Amino acid sequence: MIAANGFQALFPLFAAVVPAESVCEPMRLNDLGNLLQVISTFLGLSLFALGGGNTLITEYHHISVDQYCWLTPTQFADLYALAEAAPGPSSMLVGLLGMGAAWREGPFWALVSAYGAELAILLPSTLLMVVACLRWNKMRNSPWRIAFERGLGPITLGILFAVGYKILVLADKNPVALAISLVVCVLMLRSRLSPLWFMAIAGLLGGLGMVSR
Amino acid sequence: MTEINPNPNLSARIVPNPTLRQLFLGMLQVAISAFGGGLSAWSQRIVVEQRHWMTNEQFLAGLTVARLFPGPNQINMAVYIGASFRGLSGALVALAGMLLVPFTLLMMVGLLYFSFHELPLLDRILAGVVAAAAGMALSMGFRILDTYWRDPMALLLATATFLAMAVAHWRLVPVVLVIGPLAMAWYWPRHPASPTPEEHS
Repeated sequence: MIAANGFQALFPLFAAVVPAESVCEPMRLNDLGNLLQVISTFLGLSLFALGGGNTLITEYHHISVDQYCWLTPTQFADLYALAEAAPGPSSMLVGLLGMGAAWREGPFWALVSAYGAELAILLPSTLLMVVACLRWNKMRNSPWRIAFERGLGPITLGILFAVGYKILVLADKNPVALAISLVVCVLMLRSRLSPLWFMAIAGLLGGLGMVSR
Repeated sequence: MTEINPNPNLSARIVPNPTLRQLFLGMLQVAISAFGGGLSAWSQRIVVEQRHWMTNEQFLAGLTVARLFPGPNQINMAVYIGASFRGLSGALVALAGMLLVPFTLLMMVGLLYFSFHELPLLDRILAGVVAAAAGMALSMGFRILDTYWRDPMALLLATATFLAMAVAHWRLVPVVLVIGPLAMAWYWPRHPASPTPEEHS
């Protein structure tokens, strides 16, 4: 604990951005109005999933931790890591957020909410993709398409750095954790090892009590 | 991470128009084959090399579209493949095939997590795994940085986006709606008919 406080004293920028454990009242999903609001939030975000979907992660954090209080910041970081470790597209994180949203109502509603959230985030982008597929030959040389592709690339770059920074701040509460993150980041870029190895080794270090939080 | 193979061994034989059932099973096979990673490479191997639904050129064109439009790239690719053959129903069937097994597994993981995450040992293990996952998240930006390194305007736009989100705490949607049009105006093609260099990347 002392080490963690010293760490935050050394890096005041980190301390300033770390949100306090939320004390707000979690929003209940058994109210139909609340449920529709959540579904429409995810439906509306779908088309902003630039650059493969990971750009939405800060937004997911805002919704599930700050806005609706479904999860603590620690739980959010855990779910992000689980979605990264599990096989399949990492955007399935939304299903886990949906599950967390309704966990208080029991496992059945948690599953219903999980499937609902995942469908809501995928439906609009899927429909747009079908249209794109069928009309691609008309679109491909349009100046709109070219400007969109070239212009949104640098924005995606900026968002991905903001996402990386956000997760780093959420996850790393002490120098050991930060060191693990930085080593993994370098290895992700410089080696061809499967990221599962990094998670397994870091999990082992954590299990041995070397990464407190 | 396995890269896309630009020149796989191809036979000229193209089997046209898979049925809905075949689309579902094909995407299921992709999802299960890719359990160790490399989703993109597996979908190319199965769709182009094994099942001969598409030529490699058609597949790469689809990947360009999948990366351009919003949504997870590999899910968009499944939708593109399904929609190319069977329209909307093909897209939905391909999506279901792609997600069925991994999503069901993830749901089991999620149920276990929410039931047991307060156990001290599990919490300690997760503290380590989360630190590694944060490193993976941090690497995402660096991974595409090379593409924009020689373009000062791109770096300026990326920096503005980063500062707006990480320092000024703007939400994603206003960031995209404000900086997006500025960026599109700057990169508006002077010669609209000219093909983009990254067309077949």
